[in-house]
Amino acid sequence: MENNLITEDKQKNKLEKAFEILKTMASKPSGLIGLTIVLFHVVLALISPYIVPYDYKAISPNTMLLAPSAEHWFGTDSLGRDVFTRTILGGRTALTVTFFGSLIALLWGGLLGIFCGLVGGKIDDVVMRVVDAFLSIPWILAMLLIVSLLGTSTEVLIPALGFFYGKGIVRVARAATHDVIAKDFIVSARARGHSNMSIIWNEIIPNVRDAILVEGAMRWSWMLLGFSSLSFLGFGVSPPTPDWGLMISNARGLMSFAYWSVIAPIVGLSSLIIGINLTADAFAKALGIDRSTKAPV
Amino acid sequence: MKYILKVFSATFMSLILSFSIANASSGVFKVSHDLGFGKDTNLDAITKGRLFQVVIKTQNRLVRPDMNGVPSPSLSTDWSANSDATEWTFNLRKGIYFHDGSAFDAPDVKYSLMRAKDPDIGSPVRKSLNVVEDIEVVDQHTVKMKLSTSFADFPLLLTDYRLRMIPEGSGDTIGQTGVGTGPFMVDKFDPEGTTILKANPEYWEGAPGVAEVHVIAIPDAQARIQALLTGQIDMNRYVPFNQKKIFDSNSKFTTTVIPTGNWRGVVMRTDTAPFDNPKVRKAFRLAVDRQELVDLVMGGAATVSCDTPVMPSDQYRLQMDCPQNISKAKNLLREAGFPNGIELTVYPATLEPTWPTIAEVVQQQVAKAGIKVNIEMVPSKGYWNEVWMKKPVSMTRWNQRPADTILHEAYHSGAKWNESYFKNADFDKNLADARSELDFNKRKKAYQNAQMTLWEQSGTMIPYHVSRLVVTSSKVKNLDAVDHFSIQWHKVKVD
Repeated sequence: MENNLITEDKQKNKLEKAFEILKTMASKPSGLIGLTIVLFHVVLALISPYIVPYDYKAISPNTMLLAPSAEHWFGTDSLGRDVFTRTILGGRTALTVTFFGSLIALLWGGLLGIFCGLVGGKIDDVVMRVVDAFLSIPWILAMLLIVSLLGTSTEVLIPALGFFYGKGIVRVARAATHDVIAKDFIVSARARGHSNMSIIWNEIIPNVRDAILVEGAMRWSWMLLGFSSLSFLGFGVSPPTPDWGLMISNARGLMSFAYWSVIAPIVGLSSLIIGINLTADAFAKALGIDRSTKAPV
Repeated sequence: MKYILKVFSATFMSLILSFSIANASSGVFKVSHDLGFGKDTNLDAITKGRLFQVVIKTQNRLVRPDMNGVPSPSLSTDWSANSDATEWTFNLRKGIYFHDGSAFDAPDVKYSLMRAKDPDIGSPVRKSLNVVEDIEVVDQHTVKMKLSTSFADFPLLLTDYRLRMIPEGSGDTIGQTGVGTGPFMVDKFDPEGTTILKANPEYWEGAPGVAEVHVIAIPDAQARIQALLTGQIDMNRYVPFNQKKIFDSNSKFTTTVIPTGNWRGVVMRTDTAPFDNPKVRKAFRLAVDRQELVDLVMGGAATVSCDTPVMPSDQYRLQMDCPQNISKAKNLLREAGFPNGIELTVYPATLEPTWPTIAEVVQQQVAKAGIKVNIEMVPSKGYWNEVWMKKPVSMTRWNQRPADTILHEAYHSGAKWNESYFKNADFDKNLADARSELDFNKRKKAYQNAQMTLWEQSGTMIPYHVSRLVVTSSKVKNLDAVDHFSIQWHKVKVD
């Protein structure tokens, strides 16, 4: 009975803490704007398949490059497809790929960084040199190589993006771990004979979690830009899947006379990136992390 | 009197000077190429990696197509055949010199053409040139070509854009030097950067209008359009029609629409399942709405083709209708053992700007017949080496050729560029019969029978022959409004 009460209290505390963080984030105009934009995009991504007015694949020579109108709010593209439909579905693709990609980056990058920070020594040296080696490779070239060999399905893109954006997180997690391993409670845990896994799980993660989460949020916006760059180059998701980078790439040559076909995906992409950046900054400030002095490594 | 003489001399000298300046080559003409052959790019016209944007300006043919595609004199001034068209005599132009200073004569002709037949070189043009059994050097300016069969259209074959005359014995170096008798000489060959050509002041048709031609490697199609817009290049012959509006209203550019025999297509390898079944291939081809492709991809500026590579203006073209037929396509798939349809992946690259759009439109069209098309973009660089003729389904594009040449080169069972690995004895026999037939109507019938076989059996879906939108800087003058390979490059001027 007593144990149940303690667990409930803990959950209540966690919820209260999360609510407090959100409240702090929303108390600043930049945080409020960021949260609103991200929330707007997430809600739109969730409901988009149910509210789109047209089939995103439907091509027709009769509706090529129509200007915005009551029938086609954002006009049509060079194959006669509705730009509004493709824009809001494009956000769903971008959010899905990059959200899961960021999650993978956070998991492997965070855990490996913490492990290296904790064990130190030769293992740390070797792993960090390998990470440094990967960091020196331009990610876009490596991604092009991967998609050329394995294809451009989301099953390839998500883990590949997760891997390349996780490299930086390894360094941040390792640095954050170095800050805490010298503290008394870690020394005590070691003295009590706790295993490395137990120390990581119970002592280090709760203390480095915030720094890693903030880093992960920033990586999310970079990944979004990276994913759209890949699509722009034709190596993101495959047609006819609606995707902002691909839409911009297809319509860029028409910009001077069919601006509508390129503006909508540009606004979608840039607003989401700005929203995530503002949210990540507000998140960092709410957690008391000063990103101006602790820039990502 | 002295004064009059002085004035007269001054005026005369001024006139001479003005005349010389007016006729001197001046200015730089900048064009681009797509680096589609990657590291294999070279200046040997008969090889797969030939950089034709250069060799068509540095080397001449014996016979060239005139503005209407009819064989007309180039390095050969005239020609005649014996009564059964098995021996052709060509008289050569006199006083012609290669860029290296050597004189052009009959042994050069024999060397250039016999080299294209060399199996060790493995030229893509070898198959169509196999009809030539021997070339006899009658004298320094006359050659006699002995054919294995009657061939009434033989001069047409020699208009092929790759059959260029090079100096005897230059085969080992021609890939880097590009030496020929053409209006321009290679000054610097840099396939991945800028290749520089200098005017040949001794060119036999007159000094070129421009002092230099720069051929710049730009693999991406949109980048080439931006290069044109920003003045980095002066001509783009591959502008998609949906971008015509950008240039139409801009006085800095001139747009020209040129009907051509060039075609685009989707190739299924007939030696690879499920495309080894002719019913599957025909089902795919029947499921395509060609007119819709013309409208969506080319803005209407193309001529529908029913999978024949023979150009619309060719006398041997088979005229027929081939509307989309989804129910027949489904039936064929069912008969072939695929009642639930098939799935395939196609690999477009942006080196041909319309490929991605063709793939997207075809993807939607054939889906109605139960054919699921996945699209995987691949890099432009090296496309012809890594993807084409390698993947089960690939995209293709061909420049126009005479009927006999294109049918041999793209479909004959022994052809090097038989991209769909098509093997059909009836087809090969029809081509052989057509070549040896002296009666025009019977020859036409044989070529058309071959095209009908393609409609029934082939692995290449050819939706249309394109009209080409050529955009040039308005500084460019005297550019012939014809296909690439008929242009008289020495006439071009840049203000």
